[in-house]
Amino acid sequence: MLKNYQTGMFFDEMMETDGKPKQHYKYFYDLVSDFSKDELREKHDTAQLSFLRQGITFTVYNDTGGMERTMPFDFVPVIIPDKQWTKIERGMKQRMKALNCFLEDIYNRQEIVNDGIIPEVLIRHNPYYYKQVTGVEIPLNNHIFLAGIDLIRDENGDYLVLEDNLRNPSGMSYVFQNRYVMRQVYPELFFQHSIQTLEHQFKDLHGALVSHVPANSMNPEAPTAVLLTPGMYNSAYYDHVFLAQQIGIELVEGRDLVVEDNKVYMKTIRGLKRIDIIYRRIDDDFLDPESFRPDSTLGVKGLMRAYHKGNVAILNGIGNGIADDKAMYAYVPDMIRYYLDEDPILSNVNTYFLRDPEQLEYVLENIETLVVKNVSASGGYDMLIGPHAREEEINEFRKKIVETPSQYIAQPAIKLSRAPAYQQGRFYPCHVDLRVFVMNGSSTHVVPGGLSRVALKEGSLVVNSSQGGGGKDTWILSEGDDVHA
Amino acid sequence: MLSRVAEALYWMARNIERSENNARILSVQLIHMLESSDQQVLDRDWEEVLDICASKEEYYGRYGRLNRDTIIQYLTVSPLNMNSISNCITYARNGAKATRDMLPDDLWHVINGFYLEQKNKENTPIMPQHTQEYLKHVIHTSLAGQGIVESMMTRGVPYTFIKVGKWLERAEKTARILNVICEKSMREKGNSETESYYYWLTALQIVNGYDAYIKEYPPTMDPKNVLPFLIENGNFPRSIRYCMDHVLEAVHNLESGKVSHYSERLFQKLSAIQKELKNTDISGLGMDELMVFLDRFQNHCHEISVLFSETYYLVEPVHSVR
Repeated sequence: MLKNYQTGMFFDEMMETDGKPKQHYKYFYDLVSDFSKDELREKHDTAQLSFLRQGITFTVYNDTGGMERTMPFDFVPVIIPDKQWTKIERGMKQRMKALNCFLEDIYNRQEIVNDGIIPEVLIRHNPYYYKQVTGVEIPLNNHIFLAGIDLIRDENGDYLVLEDNLRNPSGMSYVFQNRYVMRQVYPELFFQHSIQTLEHQFKDLHGALVSHVPANSMNPEAPTAVLLTPGMYNSAYYDHVFLAQQIGIELVEGRDLVVEDNKVYMKTIRGLKRIDIIYRRIDDDFLDPESFRPDSTLGVKGLMRAYHKGNVAILNGIGNGIADDKAMYAYVPDMIRYYLDEDPILSNVNTYFLRDPEQLEYVLENIETLVVKNVSASGGYDMLIGPHAREEEINEFRKKIVETPSQYIAQPAIKLSRAPAYQQGRFYPCHVDLRVFVMNGSSTHVVPGGLSRVALKEGSLVVNSSQGGGGKDTWILSEGDDVHA
Repeated sequence: MLSRVAEALYWMARNIERSENNARILSVQLIHMLESSDQQVLDRDWEEVLDICASKEEYYGRYGRLNRDTIIQYLTVSPLNMNSISNCITYARNGAKATRDMLPDDLWHVINGFYLEQKNKENTPIMPQHTQEYLKHVIHTSLAGQGIVESMMTRGVPYTFIKVGKWLERAEKTARILNVICEKSMREKGNSETESYYYWLTALQIVNGYDAYIKEYPPTMDPKNVLPFLIENGNFPRSIRYCMDHVLEAVHNLESGKVSHYSERLFQKLSAIQKELKNTDISGLGMDELMVFLDRFQNHCHEISVLFSETYYLVEPVHSVR
């Protein structure tokens, strides 16, 4: 099955360079080797169809409007031994804590700027810095209810943080659906593994959510929480439906809400009902036409007034974008040292700032070996992967960088780890990354596993679903299972 | 429950019911027409089908003549006909998508599954020999969906809105069918017994009531039996009375038996309709009286729909300005 599989110069999640599976993949490897070609193909098709029928789709926008697509699913899981996971988990919690301290600080006294750790210009000119929320007291002083942190592994198998998503991280539903489909289609794979279950996560998520009771709640023991979605045409709508359903809260749109007397209500068949907590999946700019974009029809007029008065909690916090900015990313290790007085458990990818003339010069000279990213773009857009780029692309980026250097950062092209993927009837190595979900409330939980994303196009480094990426199940082996699994 | 969600559930149910009814009517009619060779009769029959399932005027606004394949296409997959089966299913699917967190997952699977299949075939028109197969599939999809609602949903508010949508749609459709058939039998007064037999048989078949009717009455298609059966029989689930009794009961349960100021008008209207149904001697009505009765009932249905929406705040401007 995996006979001609070459790990090449890359770290492979499953295979050793000598063609043997890693210890913790051995069981899986042996089982899959027993599947016939037809069995594999049939199972693969069943899995894809299952996603489609369930309507687990995201919307891709193009010239002719939106199109619903499912994220291709690959059945080879990413398996992580418990010990490794424990370290990731600790690293995640540490990072979240520091990032939250940073947000609290930036929207209050800005000590980290005054102490010269972070340049003031990075704050002042940041499009995601919202003066409107300065000094607002929020429940638990917590700005990050749900985060999705992207991890990659380099050629040595070391985990590095690639990106923090502290605004509206999507993909949580895929974590659960991947597991669900995997169990349906490949039940035999589960028999010999003890895998950390995902079953209890919604209890934690619900707990974290309702722990954000606003100061003036009329019902602090049982607050009313809702999930605010832009609606069914949003690319992550399925994610919203799934989360609302699983947490057991109402899925609302802006037009379902109204602010009266600085309190937020939803319009029910029995009249207005007061709301305490809003988990919003609408971007800051669209939340309230009164305070932000006046043309927004997705939001709720007057929401910010209610927020300022402590009548409603809004999660994730408004203005979180300042902390997950691609440029601010480079300072997270400093934040950890500054706020927590600890060394970072998880490392960053080395990042060059192009507004620094020396770094700019270095980047322009070595652009073929680097990855260049627009600090305010996401989803793999406006990005150059030096080693894979054509001459014209490189020249085009050189021009763009020289024009607005502060708009771009550069990072060395990491030899992103790979894992086998099964597509079109064969196994081949594909680059993977891992989005880990962290939920914060009165306590912090890390979802065991996360969404492994895989660049299914052979040789591609882009794992985003909008760019042809797919998903894999992620298994965290329970303690003590490392030996025989 | 959110008003928007209640409205979406209500219309989802109506659209599922509409797709099933239209599919059944077309299916029965296609079989009947096999036996007719008179072009004039055929054309008239098509006009009736159009009247029941869509709008004859709208059809003529687009097409100059009655052509079998055009009509089938118009009633099944045409995007131009608001009430085409494929449009009904698409609306129902959008409604289900917007309320997914309220629905059993299986219901979504059934509707979405049908929608996806339909999408796949979008560019290949239905071949005449496959029409019956397609219609059967539509009917089964609706029945499967209703089965899921019945066997899986808690008898709560979302369930009620789904059921009310279905019953109102069904009652209105039955009235519409009878109206068209009455008109026909009036127009063709003095027709042979065979023909009259054929009309009332058709009426029973398109509401899927033939088998049930036969169990209570001998197969003698007397309008004096058929009409009361389809209008005031309290046990036949597609009769007008059955549907309206259940709407009233559902609203009653929704309000826990209490008539509040906001629901007063709705209750009054529903009770008045019930009373009228009870006090009318259907078998004693002449054809023209019956037509008046059916017309009035369809108006009632419309009023109920409006009152229902008002009572539960279903009519809201999309972006309310306050």
